[in-house]
Amino acid sequence: MAFKPVTLMSTEEQKQSFQTLIEQNKGILFKVASMYCQDETDRQDLIQEIMIQIWRSFTKYNNQFKISTWVYRISLNVAISFYRKNENRKRNNISLNEDISQIPEDNKSEEEVQLNLLLHFISELKEIDKALMILYLEDKSYPEIADILGISVSNVGTKIGRIKQKLKQRFSQINT
Amino acid sequence: MDESNIKDLWRSFDTRLEEMQLLNRQHAEDIAQIKVKSFLSSMKPLKIFTILVGIVWVGIGSVFIISLFIFSFGIVSKFFLISASLQLLITAIALVVYTYQLILIYQVDSSEPILETQAQLARLKSSTLWVTRILFLQLPLWTTFYLTEGMFKNGQIIFYLVQGIITFSFTYLACWLFFNIKYENKDKKWFRFIFEGSEWNPVIKSMGLLSQINEYRNDSNP
Repeated sequence: MAFKPVTLMSTEEQKQSFQTLIEQNKGILFKVASMYCQDETDRQDLIQEIMIQIWRSFTKYNNQFKISTWVYRISLNVAISFYRKNENRKRNNISLNEDISQIPEDNKSEEEVQLNLLLHFISELKEIDKALMILYLEDKSYPEIADILGISVSNVGTKIGRIKQKLKQRFSQINT
Repeated sequence: MDESNIKDLWRSFDTRLEEMQLLNRQHAEDIAQIKVKSFLSSMKPLKIFTILVGIVWVGIGSVFIISLFIFSFGIVSKFFLISASLQLLITAIALVVYTYQLILIYQVDSSEPILETQAQLARLKSSTLWVTRILFLQLPLWTTFYLTEGMFKNGQIIFYLVQGIITFSFTYLACWLFFNIKYENKDKKWFRFIFEGSEWNPVIKSMGLLSQINEYRNDSNP
């Protein structure tokens, strides 16, 4: 999505561009929110909080960043901070794992079961590892992941390798 | 489960999410109507209340103490004047530190790289423990403000002994807490007793996040 510099836009143009930006990147918002909040109400609150932060930072956006990099940075930063604030509430909610167990096995396809397991394993990761995994699964390049997280490209590779190993182990424990 | 299977599973998550994406254009329009929230409006009422109570306490106390210094210096107990002045000074310092940290927290730029932003936020949040450490330094002053010169002139050995033990214990406790309230002690019983409650959880979590960030940075610079 190409923007003219936001500071040169009229207020109306800014609103229009913001709405377009949200529309085009809502998938990022939903995925990040789903990974950091299991509770539907928390998820909605988080999405709204991310949108507010995007709007507040909107005038500071400059074209040197890819728009998705910028949206990921804001979404993940807000999600990690939000997750920290809502740790107590989260404990009182049903975990994804418990949620899965309540669905009768017959009603779930194998793919659904595996997907639920994947989401559960990701939800167990620490906050920053979780961010890294989301970016990896979204097929972001290592340099872009490094740019979003603020670490070196080689460190991205090392960390992803370790987390993938952990995920594989978790899957093999379940499947054996 | 190999790498491509995991990625395929993740892609199937897209389909599930599409059903959830009921985010309508109206929602984005509503957000765009929100003016950038002021610092005060974005703060929780409890924080505003804490700051207001602090300002009122320090304000009224300062007027009272200054007027005693000016108009009644000769007749008021020096123990009271000094204890109350130090107490107000410590509260004022804690209040300034608390407000300054809150302003910095709300000014953190979310569009910066994750590790940079989170490290900045975590450092700021965990440094709010400083406010508690500073406030605990007031403890011994609560054992001296009621003393008078007369009590020392006419006091008996038992008075000196009891007063000495109380003031020494409170001073020791204040110093001990000042030096020991730190992340490394977060799992100790006394620490959890002091910092129990939802207000403190984000602070403690922030300190945990700093360890994660350091781990990432150490991997970057072997």
